[in-house]
Amino acid sequence: MSLNGLADCRTYEGTKIPSFVPYADNGGSVIAIAGDDFALLASDTRLSSGFSIYTREQRKLFRLSDTTVLGCSGCWCDTLTLARILEARMQMYLHEHQKPMSTPAVAQMLSTMLYYKRFFPYYVSNVLAGLDEEGKGCVYCYDPVGHCQKVAFNAKGSAGALLQPLLDNQIGYENMDNVTSEPIHIEKAMALLKDAFISAAERDIYTGDSIFINIITKDGIQEEKFTLRRD
Amino acid sequence: MSIMSYNGGAIVAMKGKNCVAIAADKRFGIQAQTLALDFQKIFEMGPHLFIGLPGLATDTQTVHQRLKFRLNLYELKENRHINPKTFAAMVSNLLYERRFGPYFIEPIIAGLDPKTFEPYVCNMDLIGCPNEPEDFVVGGTCTEQLYGMCETLWEPDLEPDDLFETISQALISAVDRDAISGWGAVVHIIEKDKITTKSLKTRMD
Amino acid sequence: MACMSKGDWYSPVQFWRSGPSPGSLYSFPGVLTAENTRFSQRSQAPITTGTSVLGIAFDGGVAIAADVLCSYGSLARFRDCPRVMHVNDNIILGAGGDYADYQYLKDVIEQKILEEECLNDGFSLKPKALHCWLTRVMYNRRSKLDPFWNSFIVGGLQDNEPFLGTVDKLGTAYVDHHIATGYGAYMALPLMREAVEKNPNMTQKEAQKLLIKCLQVLYYRDARSYPKFQIATLTKEGVTVEGPLTLDQNWEVAHMVRDGV
Repeated sequence: MSLNGLADCRTYEGTKIPSFVPYADNGGSVIAIAGDDFALLASDTRLSSGFSIYTREQRKLFRLSDTTVLGCSGCWCDTLTLARILEARMQMYLHEHQKPMSTPAVAQMLSTMLYYKRFFPYYVSNVLAGLDEEGKGCVYCYDPVGHCQKVAFNAKGSAGALLQPLLDNQIGYENMDNVTSEPIHIEKAMALLKDAFISAAERDIYTGDSIFINIITKDGIQEEKFTLRRD
Repeated sequence: MSIMSYNGGAIVAMKGKNCVAIAADKRFGIQAQTLALDFQKIFEMGPHLFIGLPGLATDTQTVHQRLKFRLNLYELKENRHINPKTFAAMVSNLLYERRFGPYFIEPIIAGLDPKTFEPYVCNMDLIGCPNEPEDFVVGGTCTEQLYGMCETLWEPDLEPDDLFETISQALISAVDRDAISGWGAVVHIIEKDKITTKSLKTRMD
Repeated sequence: MACMSKGDWYSPVQFWRSGPSPGSLYSFPGVLTAENTRFSQRSQAPITTGTSVLGIAFDGGVAIAADVLCSYGSLARFRDCPRVMHVNDNIILGAGGDYADYQYLKDVIEQKILEEECLNDGFSLKPKALHCWLTRVMYNRRSKLDPFWNSFIVGGLQDNEPFLGTVDKLGTAYVDHHIATGYGAYMALPLMREAVEKNPNMTQKEAQKLLIKCLQVLYYRDARSYPKFQIATLTKEGVTVEGPLTLDQNWEVAHMVRDGV
């Protein structure tokens, strides 16, 4: 007799009562764009569940080092835990090696940490953005169980499906004739980011209130706030 | 898996300045298996009137035939072309007759008023609840992607050429992020005295 | 047990419902079998519950309010259950959800505070620390699929700045200037947001008045609420836990109600 906690629990009469579900969908969207010498990471600040907004000012970006930032969306309790463990692992690395972990190394470690919980996953969509050892911008995106891919740009979270084709179109220049693909400028990336979030907030109830944009360059990480619709 | 995404497909319609556009992909498949690359989802229902029927392919064809029948009766009785708004009511009525055993399609109607040439777009859920917005309507298996694209690319009073560019970019970028839509696309631009139909090349994977 | 509506040679029809069937062993009603011993040692649902908790940060402090009712399903079972807690001179805590789980955690927290005071090193627990600790405790229990069925609001002064945070049974934690749990999230939170938007720097008096107004609204519409409540206030002068106080009520519009409670 094995009783999986996720299975339905039967009472004596044989009626079923819904059992405890250890996950929640707290929404939120993240966009990351990598440039030649910079990386942008932005997320909205709405934390919600079902039809209620928990808070309008929840940052979902985690600064792991001076060159690496992690953006999360999904189950917020898992996000908190994952970010906390990651921060601890960053400290351990720093003390052991006398230098901060590089972005590709963090990317690999995150993948391993996610897969370690393969059969009780962290229900989080992660996007990692930063500069690599040569100072080039890089973005890594993940699924909840640790699949990792290096990309030039990515959108994740509740409005991920709305935002990703837009990035394909405006940064990737997919399906466009007579256009030479050139590395994206920081100004264009910022403008696109804001436009994308404004559009997402129109149609996705889990995205809104405001966004935080982290601009990662060799001079450090700058932060910008931008307000969205609050309904 | 939902029956609405058994065959796949995507349709979008947009208003422009004195024109409307409607576009669809061409794929016909059964779940992940692609079977045809020339499946018609948009049907011409009058000189300035088109309807797109995304959803279950068998219902796409059945509903098209039943609508054509009702439209013919209407035109014989009234001896005039139907107004897009009236046509939308006809579609809505047909769908609501099957309230408890619906056709699995979410129609999209695009047209110009036969008298005033006012642009008109409309979409419905599978039991006929109509929605007539001022900008664009989307339907099919990649509505989220289409909403994201249209919400950013669309602007008021687009000229026919710009409208064609906008709707094409929106549709292609959207279907490229959907595994069961794409494999070619078709766009109709409806103007007062001309209808332009163009086929689009897309990635075939 | 297999469905016995259609009889065949290997599973014949029962003589009567839940009765013996020819050729098979009869399990008498009331006897434990593998089928009816699936008892769970994990909490799958809360039992004795408290409803909403409200919290607000004001200029120079925080206030947390909750009523004193503990319901047993729909039964208003215990009518004097304090749900706001004076943790130390820096922290107040409000709890909703399963009362037994809260009482257990209250004991653990009190023990923590006691041990810390025994050190007598001049340091005391701060609200952020308790909030963080509670989040970990709640998350660990949810990860064992054996949650503490509560939602907490932690309030206090962290380096002379008001702090207000919350944790629920999953370990979902966040910080805000105004927090409401349970039905309060639907009915009180919009009122609080509106009031704070109009008046961002609320005084202690205004904040307390707002909380009481919210409790009143909840009392009218939340069937598991109660007109007796407590309100804890924390400023740098210290902590006060007032109550149980009684809500003002007006039943003039309800013609079938005679004299309130």
